[in-house]
Amino acid sequence: MTILGSLVRAYERLPDAPPYGYAMAKIGFLISLNEDGSVANLVDLRTAEGSKREPRELLTPKAPKRTSGIKPCFLWDKTAYVLGVTAGDLTPKQQERLDREHASFRDLHLEVLIGSTDTGLIALRRFLEAWTIDQFNAFGWSEELKDQNVVFALESDRRPDNIFLHHRDAARILWASMQSDASGEAEVCLVSGAMLPVERVHPSIKGVWGGQTAGASIVSFNAAAYESYGHEQGDNAPVSEQAAFAYTTALNIFLSKGSKNRIQIGDASTVFWADASDAETAETAEDVWLAAFSEIDETQESARVRSVLEGLRNGRTLADLDPGLSRGVRFYVLGLAPNAARISIRFWYDSDFSDLARNYQRFVQDMRIEPPPRNGNPPFWQYLAETAVQKKRENVPPNLAGEWMRAILTGKRYPLTLLTNVLMRIRADGEVNTLRVSMLKAVLTRNFERKDTPVALDPDFKDKGYLLGRLFAVYERIQEAALGRNVNATIKDKFYGSASAQPRKVFSVIDRNSANHLAKVAKQAPGLKVDLERKLSDIMGKLNPADDPYPASLSAQEQALFGLGYYHQRSSFFQTRDNDATETAQ
Amino acid sequence: MTYGVKLMVSGPRACFTRPEMKVERVSYDVMTPSAARGILEAIHWKPAISWVIDAIHVLKPIRFQSFRRNEVASKAPAGLIKQAINRGDLAGLQLLADEDRQQRAATILTDVAYVIAAHFVMTPRAGGDDNAAKHLDTFNRRAARGQCFHQPCLGTREFDARFELLDPANNLQQPDSAHRTPELGFGVPRELGIMLWDIAHQEKGKPSMFFRARLEDGVMRVPQPGSTEVLK
Repeated sequence: MTILGSLVRAYERLPDAPPYGYAMAKIGFLISLNEDGSVANLVDLRTAEGSKREPRELLTPKAPKRTSGIKPCFLWDKTAYVLGVTAGDLTPKQQERLDREHASFRDLHLEVLIGSTDTGLIALRRFLEAWTIDQFNAFGWSEELKDQNVVFALESDRRPDNIFLHHRDAARILWASMQSDASGEAEVCLVSGAMLPVERVHPSIKGVWGGQTAGASIVSFNAAAYESYGHEQGDNAPVSEQAAFAYTTALNIFLSKGSKNRIQIGDASTVFWADASDAETAETAEDVWLAAFSEIDETQESARVRSVLEGLRNGRTLADLDPGLSRGVRFYVLGLAPNAARISIRFWYDSDFSDLARNYQRFVQDMRIEPPPRNGNPPFWQYLAETAVQKKRENVPPNLAGEWMRAILTGKRYPLTLLTNVLMRIRADGEVNTLRVSMLKAVLTRNFERKDTPVALDPDFKDKGYLLGRLFAVYERIQEAALGRNVNATIKDKFYGSASAQPRKVFSVIDRNSANHLAKVAKQAPGLKVDLERKLSDIMGKLNPADDPYPASLSAQEQALFGLGYYHQRSSFFQTRDNDATETAQ
Repeated sequence: MTYGVKLMVSGPRACFTRPEMKVERVSYDVMTPSAARGILEAIHWKPAISWVIDAIHVLKPIRFQSFRRNEVASKAPAGLIKQAINRGDLAGLQLLADEDRQQRAATILTDVAYVIAAHFVMTPRAGGDDNAAKHLDTFNRRAARGQCFHQPCLGTREFDARFELLDPANNLQQPDSAHRTPELGFGVPRELGIMLWDIAHQEKGKPSMFFRARLEDGVMRVPQPGSTEVLK
């Protein structure tokens, strides 16, 4: 299925999606009118949340796309259009534009409402005919009203039932007919295949992280270089108005704040949704996916989600765990990245949920490392932060997050930039932690197909890079045993980068110094010295003199193994120390 | 009715751009019939013949890759250039790329290989000494020798296509057994959604024509011109 096609389907399955021609808008105030057009009340619709009062989200007739033009909304708009007032002092040019905006609102409504017989619409017409700007001050309306969005209601409607003017049947019918009048020529729609009027400028999609606040478009042709065959705007890609409305509404709902269908992966705002025979299965599938990649508090998730996720992480198949999820559930993941006023698609995944579960299991397997990360399963963004300068989310290399996600979802190879970026970060800040090492291991296992890459410390693994890493960890331990922890710069701080990249230059120096350290250790703790020397000879014994044991340089793959060996060996020192502590306690 | 031809095309990258995502390019999963037609026309075409694509066989798994490129926002202005020709000097024609910069992302296919199964029909512009056998022979000879009018491309010009003529009588190249997965439609037909069939260049407004594409056992059947499956 195509991306837009799947989104249109998702819109049709949304339980509370706005109908065609309507959208959610943030409304601040309500002007209620009497039947003769005079103002009855000004009601503040904002929700009181502390000092900042948030406008309320209401379903209103869809706003036209305004970039620099003047286009009024129907039966609601900001005060500049509705009342002709706005905050602040205005230059003559701004004042003139304000007048034009108000005039456009007035003209549109007077023209459209001219033959109306509905009491509410007649009241609005009378209000607009009688309105002048000084009435704002005459009524004593507060300054907070300026630049907020305003809707209307008849006072008699508002009191008992809270019905707005645009909810009235006559208003709905009028809006529907206004929409169909404004339609363009019919062409075949590339989403539905039917002959329908083509949408010229698609509605905006708001909520993509990093994009313009006014919203951006996936389908847009806003410069000459993007048009083909002499087509303009939406004719370049005929999408019917209904399909354009459906897919943008679905995306806006998925991207809205607090939605459970979105997650931020690097700079790609990712939306995901499931398509199943019943809503509960779809929701469970979405929750499982979100819990797998995010830091959802796993004690809050439902028991079903938790059991499925734990089972998947332990290697059981989805069919065993939850047959309802393994068949007939289609899962879609779409990664969106902003580019000024446009949105680019980073990745698109559309497959059966069981495939996704299987690929996720492969990913977990690839990343497994002993000792594991401290908090069990860190959320995905923590792994990405390890590739970023200063571990800041905005510094994650842009394409890396998207490509890695695509590799995880599809089960294909990881991007090699993952390997190089992690090695670069290790060299830059000297930190070899669990998350970074597990990423190195994952790339080694899948891209270089080294299935034998050790998960835990493997004393018999004979790869050069691995052994050198272990050796380096032992040298560091020797220095620590001799000089204690409070050294200004340990061997690792000074030599890790060059040891992992150019071992031949460095290891002889380290070895010479280690002799001095061992001598000092012998005086303080002879048993420890014997132990460390034995470890050294174990590792060196595995290096093959004929096979260039200290190469002039290590490839990226071998550097990754270096990091892995270093991590395993160093962690084993801490583990044995813990074991000793527990034994003495007993 | 003429004999068909089978041409294998492959390349390291391909981009069969979806019309709706033309700016930040996203490729279709499979080669479009219009791209296939373009490849055949690059090898041999005369106004006397018109190529019709029958089927496209997918030989390798569908893999995507994404990157960004710096481009410009404007096109060469045809009217201004004509004026400059008439005038005889180049004033006002320059395009300063750093003032017009646009960065566009692209999600393209990598490592593709297809077999195009097609035939041609004679058009009303065929002359007296034009016959189908002659053109078929010419195409086969040129394709076997690697001759082409211009390098065929996989969707956009920067992704060149390497082509090889296959003997239509022999069994077609099949994808490796490792690649015969549901992703390519083996076992269960895979719906690809609505795909661009071609653009009607002769008609006013150059409308696009679409069809419902599906992969069955690695093969995408393309409807013939004039069939009801072509949505226009």
